[in-house]
Amino acid sequence: MSLVAEAFVSQIAAAEPWPENATLYQQLKGEQILLSDNAASLAVQAFLQMCNLPIKVVCRANAEYMSPSGKVPFIHVGNQVVSELGPIVQFVKAKGHSLSDGLDEVQKAEMKAYMELVNNMLLTAELYLQWCDEATVGEITHARYGSPYPWPLNHILAYQKQWEVKRKMKAIGWGNKTLDQVLEDVDQCCQALSQRLGTQPYFFNKQSDGDPDRNKTGRQILTPERPAPPRVSQAISLQMPHTPWSAACGTDEVLAIRK
Amino acid sequence: MRLGGPPRGPCSGPSPAGPWRGPGRVQICESPQSRPGRTRPASPGPAAPSGLPASPQSRRSASARRARPTTLPPFGSRLWCRRRPPSPEALGSAPCSPAPRSPAPPRGSLLPPPPATLWARRGGGAARGRAEAPGEVLPGQRAGKMAAPMELYCWSGGWGLPSVDLDSLAVLTYARFTGAPLKVHKITNPWQSPSGTLPALRTSHGEVISVPHKIITHLRKEKYNADYDLSARQGADTLAFMSLLEEKLLPVLIHTFWVDTKNYVEVTRKWYAEAIPFPLNFFLPGRMQRQFMERLQLLCGEHSPENEEELEKELYQEARECLTLLSQRLGSQKFFFGDAPASLDAFVFGYLALLLQAKLPSGKLQAHLRGLQNLCAYCTHILSLYFPWDGADVPLARQTPVGPETEEEPYRRRNQILSVLAGLAAMVGYALLSGIVSIQRATPARAPSTQSLSIAEEDEDE
Repeated sequence: MSLVAEAFVSQIAAAEPWPENATLYQQLKGEQILLSDNAASLAVQAFLQMCNLPIKVVCRANAEYMSPSGKVPFIHVGNQVVSELGPIVQFVKAKGHSLSDGLDEVQKAEMKAYMELVNNMLLTAELYLQWCDEATVGEITHARYGSPYPWPLNHILAYQKQWEVKRKMKAIGWGNKTLDQVLEDVDQCCQALSQRLGTQPYFFNKQSDGDPDRNKTGRQILTPERPAPPRVSQAISLQMPHTPWSAACGTDEVLAIRK
Repeated sequence: MRLGGPPRGPCSGPSPAGPWRGPGRVQICESPQSRPGRTRPASPGPAAPSGLPASPQSRRSASARRARPTTLPPFGSRLWCRRRPPSPEALGSAPCSPAPRSPAPPRGSLLPPPPATLWARRGGGAARGRAEAPGEVLPGQRAGKMAAPMELYCWSGGWGLPSVDLDSLAVLTYARFTGAPLKVHKITNPWQSPSGTLPALRTSHGEVISVPHKIITHLRKEKYNADYDLSARQGADTLAFMSLLEEKLLPVLIHTFWVDTKNYVEVTRKWYAEAIPFPLNFFLPGRMQRQFMERLQLLCGEHSPENEEELEKELYQEARECLTLLSQRLGSQKFFFGDAPASLDAFVFGYLALLLQAKLPSGKLQAHLRGLQNLCAYCTHILSLYFPWDGADVPLARQTPVGPETEEEPYRRRNQILSVLAGLAAMVGYALLSGIVSIQRATPARAPSTQSLSIAEEDEDE
């Protein structure tokens, strides 16, 4: 969000309290949504729940195009539309709800760093798995991504998105990685998160802004009912030793279900 | 209890803190055959002197030889032994114990010359574990295997830094931290490097690695590990902060050096065009710029690309926040994890040094960075400690070209005005002479004057 728009939005946001009919839009749960988008959506839902703000989830096939920045999920609150976790957190902060107030500067720095770690490593790995691994692409991604559209649009859109993602992977140096290397990176990242969490229930001992972000992917990978690409089951087996983090993800899952 | 061997953090399986693998995509060797007592396997021995002169090594080892309080190895005398220079007879006996002897055998047999083997073993934290220059230490160690030394090809130095490229600088710094005996080739022609890009590491087996993280992984495998003494949590922090750097600072660095027009033309392109040999200097800088711009676009393409300035402001805002965060994390410590440098320090130094040292005409981020005193002190500290001669040479050379340029300023303005006037005069003269413009206003000019004359005459008459 640009700086001017940010200031504008926060000013308007501060004026009104959180309405009851706030909605979150994402793609269709059963047929369309992909791993990375689902994870992002879960993160936002978890965050809002941690802040005790009511939100209704609505699934639309064209959610990606409705979003102001092209990313899902986005929330519709009052007469504003905010997309992506970062801006949503700021928006909610402007309304007066924040989870990170109790953290000191060093902890905030660490929190930001760990959020970037998750974004950098896990999200990229998810994208890689979804779009650059041929088996997954063929079996799951193409089918799911193009499901709401008629032929030939479903194929065209899917290939277009795949090409975009592959370009990005090449730009950041992941283009030449093999699947095993990617899984190794995921493992390292999970280990790091696990070490950081230790035996605490949350990363900074009480809920903070970064927790939903980190738990989302863990939960995503661990929840069996989401259709997981076949290779992700390998990632799941890598997750098993990292019990503190998996346990934390489990807790949040319970919290989220108990709406 | 394990005799004789301090636990090799990364390579020892059952360490209490969990096997720490290192940041990013860096992978520590978990090969089962790497046993704690192994001497340096394939790394170059002192027989092949590295390109590094002796003085910084001794200075570094003297300053960096501090016991890390975090992990105390069971063989406590290791720390003590570290401070003792290797005795000649101990070293003398080392030739009798080349590589094949050391792995796995009962530690008791190695106890007689403990300092030698400990020196020889160059465990993690080799910066602390090492003695002086490679020529002095461990003369007999590589007697068994004469492998080729590792060679590092990187961009040469400029702007007061040992290297002008971010990746090369990070790798060089890491190598200095760990005292890895690399033969450093500072070149300006990327086509001369074995992989076509810089930095590139040619290992002792002839393999070429060109991704910076992989280079550092390789160095770790060769037991030059600056992260040896980090706890698992600090290791996790390393990963996190490196991701932060890559997400927030890297786009801005690329933008500052390669996309911002003024900087690019006056600083970056100038340096590269002067450094790269003919005829590559005509097209290589441009090609590099295109690659970087594309990378930047793909990195930040998700944000609204329609407004360049908005995007720029956002990027710089995030970068300023990132710098502030780094500053807060560093606090008043010497390095990020205490008193000895780790791989995170190498990367952070790479980013910050480039921002600080290069003389940028439009350096908004530079101004912000200069305001963060502890980060500036951190950079200068590392620069003076690990790269003393590089920092000293280049500023002197830099000052002289700057002088004449400022002197030319007043003359340049005067010359400009004169040339404009001369041009105008030439144009007017040509126009008159060739008849494009002819002065025919003589008659109407005379008419009012004759009129005035006649009026005057009339007046006179009257």
